[in-house]
Amino acid sequence: MAKEECKALLDALNKATACYHHLVLTIGGSADSQNLREELQKTRQKAQELAVAIRARLTPPLRDRGLGAEERAEFERLWVAFSGCLELLEADMRRALALGTEFPLHAPRRPLVRTGVEGGASGVAARALSARSLRHEGERDFDVEDLHQLEREILKVGEMIQDMEMKVNVPRWTVQARQTAGAELLSSASAGVSSVGGVSVQQRMGPCDLSKALAATIFSAVLLAAVALAVCVAKLS
Amino acid sequence: MAAGPAPLGGHPRAQKPHLSKMERVVVSMQDPDQGVKMQSQRLLITVIPHAVTGNDVVEWLIQKYCIAEDEALHLGTLLVQHGYLYPLRDPRRLLLRPDETPYRFQVRLNWEQTPYFWMSTLWPAAELDYAIYLAKKNIRKQGALVDHEKVGYHHPSPATPAESSQRNPSPTSGAHSPGSKLIQMHKHTHPIEGVSEGRWGVHPPELGVGKSFPLETFNHPQAHYDQLHRKINHTWDLVVMQAREQLRAAKQRRKGDRLVIACQEQTYWLVNRPPVSLLLEGGSWTAEKSLQGQCVSLRCSLRTCLLTLGKDVSFEILAKFLTKTVDFYKRRIECCRKALGRTRVKSSVCLEAYLKFSSQRGPHDPLLSGCLPSNPWVTDDDTYWAMNAPSVAVPTKLRVEQWAFSFRELLEDPVGRAHFMDFLQTEFSAENLSFWEACEELRHGGQAQVPALVDAVYQQFLAPGAARWVNIDSRTMERTLEGLGRPHRHVLDDAQLHIYMLMKKDSYPRFLKSDLYKDLLAEAVVPLETKRRVFPFMWKPRHSSPSLALLPTSTSGEPEAAAGSPGGGDGET
Repeated sequence: MAKEECKALLDALNKATACYHHLVLTIGGSADSQNLREELQKTRQKAQELAVAIRARLTPPLRDRGLGAEERAEFERLWVAFSGCLELLEADMRRALALGTEFPLHAPRRPLVRTGVEGGASGVAARALSARSLRHEGERDFDVEDLHQLEREILKVGEMIQDMEMKVNVPRWTVQARQTAGAELLSSASAGVSSVGGVSVQQRMGPCDLSKALAATIFSAVLLAAVALAVCVAKLS
Repeated sequence: MAAGPAPLGGHPRAQKPHLSKMERVVVSMQDPDQGVKMQSQRLLITVIPHAVTGNDVVEWLIQKYCIAEDEALHLGTLLVQHGYLYPLRDPRRLLLRPDETPYRFQVRLNWEQTPYFWMSTLWPAAELDYAIYLAKKNIRKQGALVDHEKVGYHHPSPATPAESSQRNPSPTSGAHSPGSKLIQMHKHTHPIEGVSEGRWGVHPPELGVGKSFPLETFNHPQAHYDQLHRKINHTWDLVVMQAREQLRAAKQRRKGDRLVIACQEQTYWLVNRPPVSLLLEGGSWTAEKSLQGQCVSLRCSLRTCLLTLGKDVSFEILAKFLTKTVDFYKRRIECCRKALGRTRVKSSVCLEAYLKFSSQRGPHDPLLSGCLPSNPWVTDDDTYWAMNAPSVAVPTKLRVEQWAFSFRELLEDPVGRAHFMDFLQTEFSAENLSFWEACEELRHGGQAQVPALVDAVYQQFLAPGAARWVNIDSRTMERTLEGLGRPHRHVLDDAQLHIYMLMKKDSYPRFLKSDLYKDLLAEAVVPLETKRRVFPFMWKPRHSSPSLALLPTSTSGEPEAAAGSPGGGDGET
């Protein structure tokens, strides 16, 4: 079904945009590094691919005048969410460009602001790409070239937004959102988050989770040992 | 939709100078050798580095810039207020520890923010972003957008019954449910709260003047949340989706990083809160750039004022800010309305008229088409000026042709006016022109002569049995006669205009078709171009009246007239 496909793609785009937003937050801070820039690039490229795919899927139904009112309303809702997502993405890309130019990685004079953020964000990027882990393979001047590419991509996204506005006429104010105020407090299961191609792999590579698992195993081992000892004592006595 | 960081109006985003200065200060604080001393903050299990005490900051400022302690304190407060530093313990109080006693600096306070949230990159904080942030906060705090210590309030916004039935009454006193919009009263009730269950929320004009109420009532995240929900209702799906996803993305990080980022975001939105007045007016938050500066300054001044005065603020101060913006908007509306009413000419029409004018006047322009007999600046011969003097016996042909362009040209040329007067005399309507001339004299004459002149004009032209009575319509005549009681320079303007239009529409076309004019055209003089005496060695004889428009190609095209004497004024045609 076209609608389900679109929804799935939109959820993936949403996830990618959120992850990109999260990654952009740390540019220029103490966690900024080449790896971060690479992750940014991969995430935004993925987001752009998804955007192009969604646009290709959503445009024909909306231009088709013979569509029923309910179906059309549904598609319009998806369209509004999609264009909002795209605008957020563009805004974040612009921020990334501005901050990236202000905080070049390999310039000796300007140190990065010490923000207290440590540790990598590879988990975030991996989540965006629905992959298990990320390989980092950039060269030394990666960030400078990346900025040029980022500029071009910003222009492309801007053009895409413009194009969308021209081609499809969806009056935003008539769209009724499904979610009401405070709906985010309801359990997230009802949101129907499904990634592209099945279950998204949750990354559990954070050090605190590892320590939690370790603590749990140690505890259970100690418990078993205690039980065994108690049984022995009971048997002996 | 979300305004995003796209520059409005096409202007590049210029950094405000004070912000770039502050940035430099903050960056120099980062220096590992000479910057501020960093410590680690220790929460229960997590250790987060890069914490700075207020005391350290002030000492560093004093040492680096050789300033007094007060100034360092003030500078530090500015840094905090603009978001470059933020307090850890009490994030809502954007002060570098209040200025009561200087000893309070022992408390470990400040962290440094990421550049993403620096104020200098001044994107208009968009409604969509703020909505997403509030939704995230909602999820994190399980519906309590209120801090525990703050006072509750009774919010008069429409509550959907479906939602309120879903929520269980919260067990603890701290948690509040937004769905039902009823927030429990807390222990520290405000005196006014105790008095009545009065409905007051975001509209202080409903309150009586002189009451004071806490700042948080209408600067409240809950109020913002509801307002945003009403405004951008159509994108609420996206808001919810993004909020959930962003929280999930944040979970991929270490706990310490998560805390840091959450604190940063909170401070950013505290610093960039929407201005009070705009929220109350219900006006658009993503205002145009010209308004933005006003709003930022309003916001800053309001905030500093309120912070120094403390939590409770009297209503008068707020009222002053409110009226200011109401007037401001009213004036803007007036301005825009006037601008709408102005007449505008399409550029296509303008350009056509311009082309017509240029093609008509082209041959008459001395620079474009050369001036005959010779350009006085080139040949040192002033025949040209003599022939084109204001009153000359025989006008040149070009001049006579110019009279046909418009009535104004004819009247402005003394020779033309004289001939026109002759023509009118043959038609027995010369008094019109005389009247017009008299009115001109009145308008441009001396102030002392005005009453006498008005009187004379009246006697001669306007009085019922006057000798040279002019034909003016009754309405204009009435108005003129009324004005004659108090004579001034422009009292006869209406009548003059009427007569002018009469002549223009009636006599002028007839003049152009008359024999008189045709004779004038025939008699007009076309002077010959004088040949310049040049050395016999020269290849190309120079032109005595070079035309600038033809200058590059003006070699052999010009017909060489027979060499007339350069001094001859009335050359043969």
